Formats: sequence, C-alpha cells, structure tokens
Amino acid sequence: MNKSEFLTTLEAELKGIDKQERVELLQDYEAHFEFGLEEGKTEEEIAKDLGSPRSIAKEVKASYHIEQAKSDGGIQNILQATLAVIGLGLFNLIIVLGPFLALVSMIFSGWIVSFVGIISPLLVLIDIYIASSFELVNLFAAILFCGLGLLLLVAMIYVTKFMKKVFIRYLSYNVSIVKGGMKGD
Amino acid sequence: MNVQFKKGVLELCVLVLLDKQDHYGYELVQKISDQIQISEGTVYPLLRRLTKEEYFTTYLQESKEGPPRKYYQLTDKGRGYLQTLLAEWYEFTNGVNHLIKEGVKDE
Repeated sequence: MNKSEFLTTLEAELKGIDKQERVELLQDYEAHFEFGLEEGKTEEEIAKDLGSPRSIAKEVKASYHIEQAKSDGGIQNILQATLAVIGLGLFNLIIVLGPFLALVSMIFSGWIVSFVGIISPLLVLIDIYIASSFELVNLFAAILFCGLGLLLLVAMIYVTKFMKKVFIRYLSYNVSIVKGGMKGD
Repeated sequence: MNVQFKKGVLELCVLVLLDKQDHYGYELVQKISDQIQISEGTVYPLLRRLTKEEYFTTYLQESKEGPPRKYYQLTDKGRGYLQTLLAEWYEFTNGVNHLIKEGVKDE
C-alpha cells in the first residue's frame, strides 16, 4: 500500500465523522508520510508501520460516535454508536448486540403496555357500539387500566432516559476494553 | 506482547515522553516504536483525543525542510493525569512482579 492508497482508504472509511475532525486527522497522517520519506523510508514501509487504515478508522469512528451519543442521546446517534462499536470486532458483536436488543425490546414493550392501558376506555366504547353490550365491570376495569397506563407512561419516560445513559456508558466501556484502556478512559 | 494491552500503555508512554520536553507527532511515534512494537497509526487518534481532553496543547513550528511540525505540550491537567496513570502502572507492575517471584520460587 502506498501513500495515496493509504490516505484514500482512510478518508473513505472515516466518512460520517465531523469534517474538520477528518481533515485534521488526515493531515496528521500526510505529515507522517512526509517525515518518513525525508528519513529515506519508502511509502510502502511507512504505510506498513502505520497499520491498517481500516482498523484505525474503526476505532476513530467508535470513539467519535460515542462522544456524539453522550452529548446528544438521539436514537440515531445511539444507533450509530452501537453499530460502530459492533464494527470493532466479533467480540463486541456478541457482547453489545445482545444487551442492545434486550434493552430495546424491554423498553418497547413497556411503551406498548402503557399505550394499550391508556386507550382501554376506547375499547369499552367500541364494545358498546359493535356488540351493543355494556358491562359496568368492563368500564371500571378500563378506567383502572387507563390510570395504570398513565402511571407507566410517566415511569417509562424516566426509565428510557436512564437506560439510554447506562447503555452509552456500556458502549464506551466496550471501546476501552478494545483499546485495552486503563481506568477513566 | 498482547496488542490490546499495549494500546493502553501507549497513552502512558506518550505522556511520559511529553513530560520531559515537547515533541512533534512523528518524533513521538518514532521514539515509542524504537522501544516497543506498535501499529504506529494508532498514536495520532490518541494524540487528538488527549488534546481534546485538554491534557496537551499544540503549536506549529516551521522547519527548513519538510512540513511544519505540530508540537504537543503537556498541560497541568495532563501532568496530573500522568501522575495518576503512573501510580496505577506501578501498582500493577509491582503486583505482577510479586506474583512472578512467588511462582518462580514454588518451582
């Protein structure tokens, strides 16, 4: 791999991170090549010592997306961070994808249960219209479920927020394992 | 040596080198790879990350030949971080050395 191959690959693999960040990092590598050439090394030797541009880009992207998710915990950012960490290797695929799916389905079902509870009085109305039958017990039960649904809704808002934070921390913990990072990484 | 393990140590190496004097990126990479085998490319993202965390400041210096050199300078915050990492490192290596000694005695 020569200089331009290395830099082109790295640039392509770094798509999706902040432009300025990408440009500055590429400048670092470009300068590295120039210093190396001055010392009489060949482009191929320098590229070989630098290592694979793909794995460099993967690590950069994972750290970048986690930073993004930390500052703005939107669904898109969390998803990107998750994918980036999974992309680091099979080990991460196993220990990240599982908890991620479990967490998402738990939160999703919580929301569903809450919504069904809230609309349950509507079901009683539908029952009256369609089957033209009316049971007082159904109405009371529906009101009860509606109230519980509302409570659950409030709880779910907090649970979702909390879980998001926990998951992002879990992701950065993963990156630090891959980096072999020390405490506070 | 294990690749994962070395990357964590890389941070410590960079900080230690900069504690003595300012260095530019290429110089840091060479100094480290003279001593331990690393993928040199991993140093630059590390330098950027530590700069962002305000452990270093950078300044450019023109040189007669070659591109301008980006020098890294350790901040007070960086020095504090270095002390923490050093303490952890000594604790860790002392522990491992101790275990090795015990193991060798037993044989």
